[in-house]
Amino acid sequence: MSAGVESIPLVVETDRLREIPIGRMAIWWFLASEILVFGGLITAFVLYQFAHGGFAADAEHVKWRFGAFNTLVLVTSSMTMIMALASARANDRRRTRMFLLFTILLGCFFLCVKGLEYRGEFSEGFYPSSGMFWSFYFGMTGLHALHMLAGIVINLMLFIATGRDNTWEFLQRRIEYGGLYWHFVDVVWIFLFPLLYLT
Amino acid sequence: MSETTVGAIDTRAESNLYMMIWAWLVFLLIAGLMIFVLPIPRTAAVITIFSIAAIKAGLVLRNYMHLKHEHLILYLTVLVPALLFLGMALTLIPDIVYRHALGLGR
Repeated sequence: MSAGVESIPLVVETDRLREIPIGRMAIWWFLASEILVFGGLITAFVLYQFAHGGFAADAEHVKWRFGAFNTLVLVTSSMTMIMALASARANDRRRTRMFLLFTILLGCFFLCVKGLEYRGEFSEGFYPSSGMFWSFYFGMTGLHALHMLAGIVINLMLFIATGRDNTWEFLQRRIEYGGLYWHFVDVVWIFLFPLLYLT
Repeated sequence: MSETTVGAIDTRAESNLYMMIWAWLVFLLIAGLMIFVLPIPRTAAVITIFSIAAIKAGLVLRNYMHLKHEHLILYLTVLVPALLFLGMALTLIPDIVYRHALGLGR
C-alpha cells in the first residue's frame, strides 16, 4: 500500500436513529398523540375532583369486581399479543395465528364484560347525563372501548394476513405495530381502572 | 450449536420473559386490590395504588413494547406528552385547591 492512501475502516459506525423503521417511529408518534387525549381526560377528572371535593357518593356504584376482571383479561391479552410477535419472529405461522386469535377473543370478551357493566349501570338509572362523575366515567371508558374495538379490527386484519402468502418480514413489522397499539390501550386501562374504580 | 437452535433458545427465553412479566402484572393487580379492600388510610392507599399502576405500566412499556431496547428519541416521544399533561395538572392544582378552600368559583 503506497503512502497517502487511507485505509478503509473495517467497522463503520451507523446512526442508530436512522435504523429505526419509519413505521415504528410513526406508531410511537401516534401513541404520543393518544397520550395527550387520554392524559387530558384523566387530568380533567383529577382536577375536577380537587375542585369539587371528590366523587365518593357516585363512585360507590361502579362495579370494581367487573373492572378487576377486565384488567386481568386485558393484561392476558397483552401477553398473548406479544407471544404472537415472538412466534412471528420465530417464523411459526401456526402459533402466530393462535396467539392473535386469543388476543382477538380476549378483546371481544373485555367488550362483552364492559357491555354488561353498562347495562347494570343503566338499569340502576346511571347515564352519562347523571352527573359529572358519570360523564367522565362513560366518556373515558367509552373512548377506551372504541380504541379496543379498533385494536380488535386491526388484529383481525393481521390474523387474516397471516393466513395468506405474505413474507415474514411483512408480517413481523405489522404485528409489531399492531402490538404496540394494543399494549398502549392496555396501559391506558392500567391507569383508568384505579382512577375510576378504586380511588 | 446451529443457528436454528440458537434462534429457538432465544425465542424460548423471550417467551419465558413475557410469561414472567404477565405473572408480575397479575400479582400487582392482586396487590392493588388488596390495598383497596383492606382498611388502610385513604391517602396512603391512593398513593400505593397509583404507584402500583405506574410499575405495571412500566413493565408493559419496557418489556412488551420493547422500550428498553429503543433509541432515546422514542423514550422522549412518550415522555414529552406525559410531562405536558403532568405539568398542566401541577400548574392548575394550587389554584383549584385555593379556590375550593375559599369557596370561590362554584
